Amino acid sequence: MTTLTNTIEERRKTFFKRFNWQYFLQDNLTGSRWLTIWVAFITLVTVGVFVGQLGSAPGWTLILTAVWAVGILMVVAGELFGLHTSFSRWLKDNLLSSISNTLVTLLIILLVAQVVSGIWQWGYVTATFDSTRTAPDLRSEGATWGVLWGARKLILTGTLAPEHTWRVILTGAMVFVLWLISFIATRPTVKTSMGYLQRISITLWLLAPIASYIFLAGLEYHEPFINIRTLLTGLVIVVAFMALLWFFKVIKLDPVSIGLWVAAWPIGYVIWQLIARTGIFPTINVDEWGGLLLTVIFAIFVNILSFPLGILLALGRRADVQGIPVWIVWPIALIATVYLLSTSTPELWTTSRNNVERALALWPLLIPIAAYFYQRSFQGNMVQAFSVLFIELIRGVPLITLLFMAIVMAPFFTASGSAIKNFWAVIVGYTIFSAAYMAELVRGGLQAIPKGQYEAADSLGFNVLQKYRFIILPQALRILIPPLAGSVIGTFKSSSLVALVGMFDLVGIVRGIIGNGQWLGLRSELYAFLFVLYFVVSSGVSWYSRRLEKRMGLGTR
Amino acid sequence: MAMMQGPSVSNVEDIVVCRNVHKWYGEFEALKGVDLDVKTGEVIVILGPSGSGKSTFIRCLNRLEEHQEGRIIIDGIELTHDLRNINEIRREVGMVFQQFNLFPHLTVMENITLAPIHVRKWSRERAEELAMQWLTRVGIPEQAEKYPGQLSGGQQQRVAIARTLTMQPRILLFDEPTSALDPEMIKEVLDVMRDLARGGYTILAVTHEMGFAREVADRVIFFDAGQIVETNHPSEFFTNPKEERTKLFLNQILHH
Ligand SMILES: Nc1ncnc2c1ncn2[C@@H]1O[C@H](COP(=O)(O)OP(=O)(O)O)[C@@H](O)[C@H]1O
Ligand SMILES: [Mg+2]
Repeated sequence: MTTLTNTIEERRKTFFKRFNWQYFLQDNLTGSRWLTIWVAFITLVTVGVFVGQLGSAPGWTLILTAVWAVGILMVVAGELFGLHTSFSRWLKDNLLSSISNTLVTLLIILLVAQVVSGIWQWGYVTATFDSTRTAPDLRSEGATWGVLWGARKLILTGTLAPEHTWRVILTGAMVFVLWLISFIATRPTVKTSMGYLQRISITLWLLAPIASYIFLAGLEYHEPFINIRTLLTGLVIVVAFMALLWFFKVIKLDPVSIGLWVAAWPIGYVIWQLIARTGIFPTINVDEWGGLLLTVIFAIFVNILSFPLGILLALGRRADVQGIPVWIVWPIALIATVYLLSTSTPELWTTSRNNVERALALWPLLIPIAAYFYQRSFQGNMVQAFSVLFIELIRGVPLITLLFMAIVMAPFFTASGSAIKNFWAVIVGYTIFSAAYMAELVRGGLQAIPKGQYEAADSLGFNVLQKYRFIILPQALRILIPPLAGSVIGTFKSSSLVALVGMFDLVGIVRGIIGNGQWLGLRSELYAFLFVLYFVVSSGVSWYSRRLEKRMGLGTR
Repeated sequence: MAMMQGPSVSNVEDIVVCRNVHKWYGEFEALKGVDLDVKTGEVIVILGPSGSGKSTFIRCLNRLEEHQEGRIIIDGIELTHDLRNINEIRREVGMVFQQFNLFPHLTVMENITLAPIHVRKWSRERAEELAMQWLTRVGIPEQAEKYPGQLSGGQQQRVAIARTLTMQPRILLFDEPTSALDPEMIKEVLDVMRDLARGGYTILAVTHEMGFAREVADRVIFFDAGQIVETNHPSEFFTNPKEERTKLFLNQILHH
């Protein structure tokens, strides 16, 4: 015991030898005029807030202030007697490192407590949770959470007919099971003992879109059971699917497996037709999808489609292909100009009503100008010219304009003139927009790969496809994980813009619910719910991207 | 180990033929008519001041750079715009870079076997076996499962050499392979290069390692301002150079 007091006494002495009041004051208070003013100011504010809260909630204010004081004592004890614990050291480094920081800490504690208690009061203490008592005259002064349960159908699936709800649940369950399988398949122990599980899970994931489509959009039965056109179309899809699997190294291409795959399609087709004939999954109008369902479908669709499209555009923008030579471009441009001047211009000229329209009738003269810029900027490089034009045009237009244009202009692009659904039009418009931005991200990633990597690949004899597949893209995509995750989150969040073109996604439907008699004006509850939902999903994506980055970071410098 | 021996020396035709090769970067003429014939199995060291076009020249030989005038014929195949020719030649010509240029996201073994598997279409087993033999020959078989970032510079360069040689090229191009290395690691790489030079490979090496040049080079070529100024036997070249410019250059690098 005596030795302990001795050591403490010794430490205290050495401490006071090192500790200098003058330095302490100078560092914390009198070092500069601004520091003094700042400390005085923060003291005033803190004392003001403290006194104010002491009046409204004395118990909590005193308890929190006491906790703060104990923290200070711990730090002082640690400093004075060298009795730091890891916790008190953390306190000292992060919260209580100087007089002004100590005061700011108390201020933040008090303010946070106030906000939290306010939310707690509104969201729990005075709130009601009964979904049958949501009408305006039955509400309490707090939150009316019953709306979330009462309007659950609308929130989850929007205007989708209730008899289809089970199909949405089935899709959700399927995705969950798939996720579980791939989660198990990627465990290190399972990976080595049952390597095939991973192949199965990748294959199932690639089949999942087809199954989801059947569940959510349904199948229409067409009379001839065997339809040649459909069979051929399907064959093309199967071959593309095969190429994809081969690309992800799931399968090897040998004659036997090619035969099996090709044969698989007719069988799949028959199954498809059989399912259609049972009528278990009757067709649903895709424009009926709404609520969370629509938001999720948008996010997944657009992100999955725009990713490869973005990569292609980025590669296109850097493509170094042999340009179309001048002696081909100019004759074609001139012949086209002369031809159109002799056919289109007289026609437009005769129907023109004013000078502007007459000037517009001379539009073929723009062709040589375009040809000039095409030669000058791209040296005839078609791929590059197309990519650059596409990316820059799309990036120069606000998303909402693009969405309106997609819906308004979609009928012009379809053969039948009107058959295209708003949903598909918006998907196309949104994907194009997202791809243009993604292309620029990917281009940044490609530029970050040192020139030597390209040269090493070239000198070893890889062709262009192999070079990008094995060497450039794996490295570029790893760098790109954080910005790509940002883009995925951005796409998810701004999908709420489709509410403005009359679609009832999560935000659109919530606006509808707020305007509905029974739930009229329950803004705070519904937007709080949206806040939490979007936050959880976005931070989930961002957490996953960090994990992915770590996992792919193996061995990189 | 038969497959690890260099290509046979019996074929004494010229394996590399360059005739009046010109190369411009925009307005700047980097190569001003280079003529050079290299016999199979010959070891050539290229010297010259910085910016004289040494790198440009050897990079033209495997079409990392494109020459605009003159002819380059490698093993009977002329380098033209024809992609098939370029790919065929790149399989014959291996290159080792100053900055190693290993693929950082792949292990040493994957670095070495990637090209044999996908370009030469070998089985993984065959590629790994040969890769292991080359790793042993350059002295680092135990590093096969590491990533490039975990190796020293000298080890990385030896991996790069093993990667190039596993593709079984007949011609080797070295572009200042030791210039990015710390002094104590230069020797381990030079030892490997000396070993290869005696193994029958046709070698064109840009290097300022005079010892290497004296010991194994059959010819030393001196570049200046995009032209070959002097071609000489190493013993003559270092002791009794023909050209004034060569003398100046040697004075600078030997007495700096
Ligand atoms: N990609 C390029 N673009 C323009 N000029 C270049 C390029 N590469 C090299 N050069 C120029 O060509 C000349 C020869 O370069 P290089 O062959 O690298 O010389 P060395 O390897 O002998 O030092 C130098 O003047 C250099 O500035
Ligand atoms: Mg150089």
